[in-house]
Amino acid sequence: MIKDFLRHLFPRAVLQRDLTLSYTLCLGGLAFTSLMLLAASGALLLFHYQPTPAAAYPSILLLESSVWGGRYLRSLHRLASHLFLVLIVLHTLRVILTGAYQKPRQLNWLVGCALLLLAVFEGYTGYLLPMDQLALWATQTGMELLHIMPLGGALRAVLVPDGVGEPASLLRFYVLHILMVPGALLFLSGLHFYRIRKNKGVLPYL
Amino acid sequence: MKRGYLKSSPHFFRLIKIALAVTVVAVMLLAALVPAPLQDQANLARVPNPVKSAWFLLWIQELVSYSKYLIYLVLALAACFLALPWLSRSAPPQHACWFPRESRGITRAALLSCVLVLSLTLLAMFCRGANWQFVSPF
Repeated sequence: MIKDFLRHLFPRAVLQRDLTLSYTLCLGGLAFTSLMLLAASGALLLFHYQPTPAAAYPSILLLESSVWGGRYLRSLHRLASHLFLVLIVLHTLRVILTGAYQKPRQLNWLVGCALLLLAVFEGYTGYLLPMDQLALWATQTGMELLHIMPLGGALRAVLVPDGVGEPASLLRFYVLHILMVPGALLFLSGLHFYRIRKNKGVLPYL
Repeated sequence: MKRGYLKSSPHFFRLIKIALAVTVVAVMLLAALVPAPLQDQANLARVPNPVKSAWFLLWIQELVSYSKYLIYLVLALAACFLALPWLSRSAPPQHACWFPRESRGITRAALLSCVLVLSLTLLAMFCRGANWQFVSPF
């Protein structure tokens, strides 16, 4: 079934000259691969992480000291998240520099922009979870940046009802990080792929 | 099969599989070499100096350190990028190519924005010390 789904995701035939890597550099596909790595490593981290201010940091310490491969798993998740952001930015830049955002692909351009924004938000919500000094103060600074934006105060109140790193805000960041944002990322990625097919292929003018 | 076309399976799929395998192996190897940092437990009473945001937001922090109104520059930039398909007045290029002649202005603006974001990120990351004072990275 998966094989059939993948076959439907891609065109049946492609132009031979478009199979050159120098056009897309596979950046979008690699970004999606990083997302899959993030989902896999993140799912394993869920078995050990405890989303309360008192237990979050000790659960990371326990993961790193007592769980076989725990330290490696956390490094993998962190590295994949950095790579995901870098690749999605480079993919966006590639789309601009090759003019692939132009009509009739304007809807997919908007979907791609939403994916980029969600990727940044996913990275931001994940930053707080270890609850170490780096996590707390980086998140606090991010909130200050949000606060100076128009409507930022209202958004901040929704995200952090009781202060950065307090029980309600940590729980919200956790739910957003493991459920809401990844769900939206997967849905929009599906829509992104579907629109590529509708716009006649991975590369323009197949 | 029309002339110049190949079946996606196996030609296109082979490329995708190779790219996927190389990425996964490279990240898994790198993860073994670069451990994730873990500082002391979060403590609101101990404020580090300087306080820095996540690396992907550092460019905004650097920008608003000059004036908080520069946040509107970030928002304007985001709005321009969102509206790109409607800003371009030229007809879409007939063939896929890098740096199409018809969109020279947008290409330059995009590259300039990238250089700006990268420079601000590096500046905030390596050249900002206590009280956000400029320090030499060396």
